[in-house]
Amino acid sequence: MRVRSSWEIQKSVIYALFLREVNVRFSAGKIGYIWIFLEPLLQIFIFVSVKILLFGKRSNFDYAVFITVGFIAYNLFRHIVNNSMSAFKSNKALFAYKQVKPIDTLIARLLVEIMITGVISFIFIGVGFYFNYDMHPENLGMVLLTIVWLIMFAFGFGLMVSVIGFFFTSFTKVVKLAMMPLMFISAIFYTLADLPPSASKLLSINPLVHFMELIHASYFYSITDEFVNYTYMLLWSTIPLYIGLRLYIRLSKAIVSQ
Amino acid sequence: MIRLEHVTKYFRTPYGKKYLLKNVSFIIPEGVNVGIFGRNGAGKSTLMRMLGRIEFPNQGKIISNNSFSWPLGLSGGFQGDMTGRANVKFVCRIYGKNRDEIDKALEFVKSFSELGDYFDMPIKTYSSGMKSRLSFGLSLAFDFDYLLIDETLSVGDKRFKKKSKDALLKKIESCSVLLVSHDMNTLRDICDVGIVLDNAKLYFYDNIKDAIKMYNNINS
Repeated sequence: MRVRSSWEIQKSVIYALFLREVNVRFSAGKIGYIWIFLEPLLQIFIFVSVKILLFGKRSNFDYAVFITVGFIAYNLFRHIVNNSMSAFKSNKALFAYKQVKPIDTLIARLLVEIMITGVISFIFIGVGFYFNYDMHPENLGMVLLTIVWLIMFAFGFGLMVSVIGFFFTSFTKVVKLAMMPLMFISAIFYTLADLPPSASKLLSINPLVHFMELIHASYFYSITDEFVNYTYMLLWSTIPLYIGLRLYIRLSKAIVSQ
Repeated sequence: MIRLEHVTKYFRTPYGKKYLLKNVSFIIPEGVNVGIFGRNGAGKSTLMRMLGRIEFPNQGKIISNNSFSWPLGLSGGFQGDMTGRANVKFVCRIYGKNRDEIDKALEFVKSFSELGDYFDMPIKTYSSGMKSRLSFGLSLAFDFDYLLIDETLSVGDKRFKKKSKDALLKKIESCSVLLVSHDMNTLRDICDVGIVLDNAKLYFYDNIKDAIKMYNNINS
């Protein structure tokens, strides 16, 4: 057999896993396709309606766009973390091939999520423009940078919890429980500036809030980024990644053999 | 050639460490077909998994320049929610086959495994015989230096068993095989040398017949 470099092998493994994930997710007879669009659509619809009913239509930025951006980013984070946590278990049989390393399953799932988010964003932006919403971000570069940063945070966090969770099933349950109220405490459909100082201080503990505020502030200059703590974001996107990688290096063989 | 250097392998259990191999060093020479004997739980499958590099010694090293197949075992390395076709494609892709080679492999595996419509159904609907047919057919589509076969030949109906054995006899003209089986006739026909695993020790026999004799001694 032809000898391939490690990089070549890993590339072909990630590609094969990527196709497998896409195949499983979108195989015929599943509502996978529909749900991918329906989920953000429902989220946006519900929260826009609530906002209009409770507070009226007045706002100095387009609220529907604000919420769409928030939910797309939030779903990206949540899906990456959730899919990471189940990646090892649902690909276990494939570790019978020595080429397939556990981290490849995380990378493949990450790429699937990025692809789905990309497609959804394009469609929502297209639909938005069609209905004359101003979908144009005021600082596109910063929005994209923050999304990349968010992906790094999600991947590192997902890696850490999936390695720990593989050996302690209860840990996975705790993380899932902690993620449940995330939708309401992540500044997706409001800004910290709207809240009383005590509440915004409390919510600032949640790292996702900072990413969300930064994305919103880069999308609309009328929103302030004064609550964004860059150092805090950096810590959350590096420390879990570091711990995750360290644990992974120690434990990857055990994950393969189990 | 496969070299084992001071290999120790144990499993931690609530009743202490269970040793499968204890400080074992030995060499499997180039170009011989090896039958592996041992009672249930002696560590035959674990040895296969170590050679396939999906299980790792607690101490010591296994050194070889050769390419090994994945261990063709009863549990299979198949993801239940994928179809037979998807699984074949997956394995071809991780081995870096291009599109033409994948098509050729698909055609070959489909006809060899005789799965018919089941080829496009999820693996979880397969019987264990069907799984091992797919697994064995798939391994024939690749050129390894060593095939690691763990019991796969012992399942399946009589006709298919014969077909697999013939295919294997043809295949070992160009590669070697490490074979775990409880079928002494198959072992005698295919293998040249034998390894007996017993009490965390490993005994090597130049002649497969001696290995069979020794194995029968352990069992009696």
